[in-house]
Amino acid sequence: MIVFGAAAAASVIAGVLVVTRRNPVYSAIWMLVCFLAFAVVYLKLGAPFLAAMHVLVYTGAILVLFLFVIMLLNLQPEEYGRELPLSTRVFTALLCLGLFAFIAVPLVRDEALDRPLPPVPADFGSVRHVGEALFTKHALPFELVSVLILVAIFGGVLLAKRKA
Amino acid sequence: MTVRDYLVLSAAMFAIGAYGVLGRRNLLILLMSVELMLNGVNIALLAFARVHAATGEHAHVLVLVAMGVAAAEVAVGLAIVIAVFRNRKTVDTGRLGSLRG
Repeated sequence: MIVFGAAAAASVIAGVLVVTRRNPVYSAIWMLVCFLAFAVVYLKLGAPFLAAMHVLVYTGAILVLFLFVIMLLNLQPEEYGRELPLSTRVFTALLCLGLFAFIAVPLVRDEALDRPLPPVPADFGSVRHVGEALFTKHALPFELVSVLILVAIFGGVLLAKRKA
Repeated sequence: MTVRDYLVLSAAMFAIGAYGVLGRRNLLILLMSVELMLNGVNIALLAFARVHAATGEHAHVLVLVAMGVAAAEVAVGLAIVIAVFRNRKTVDTGRLGSLRG
């Protein structure tokens, strides 16, 4: 309970800092904190394999890619872009708070959700269990994702290539 | 621990990401916010899988596929950011209005 509370608080605070920092480098660093806190939440959910994959894919690949592009663009503070006026930002924040309330209030009111989660099933998140599912029953989506990533690599190179 | 705690956390991350997408004008931070939203949804998926224990493996595969799609999306998105910055010298969405009707 304490571990989950700490991880949830850390991810929410880090998330807010990600979307409010002006310098994208600071946002990327706070995103790192947020992702690591999320890995703890995955562990609390009984999914150690997904926690490892989350750290590998998100902090290992996606975050490094973000930092790489930020360094590549080498933005000066005057190039961060003009922010929306404060009133618009406050309105947007209230809108998103409303979205949160719209989802969260029915959840809090629903008494069917009061039951504690059942204990983690024996092979819920084990590498063996997930791997078996991934390479037998769900082989098609797995292969489709690999094709998608291949296409994304080609697309990325083609889009970012300097025109000759 | 109830499933509600995880779902509320998921909703919070989704709302935070939504603010980043709607309220910011920096393309890089826009992409980061989309990642936050995707993460929130993944947590909800896994929490539901814990409630319906028999679906654990399906949820794991679904979350892995979502992670793969997120990685592909970021690769293409950042390539577009680089291309836009090279041509327009800005990452400010407010100044990228060429397609406005």
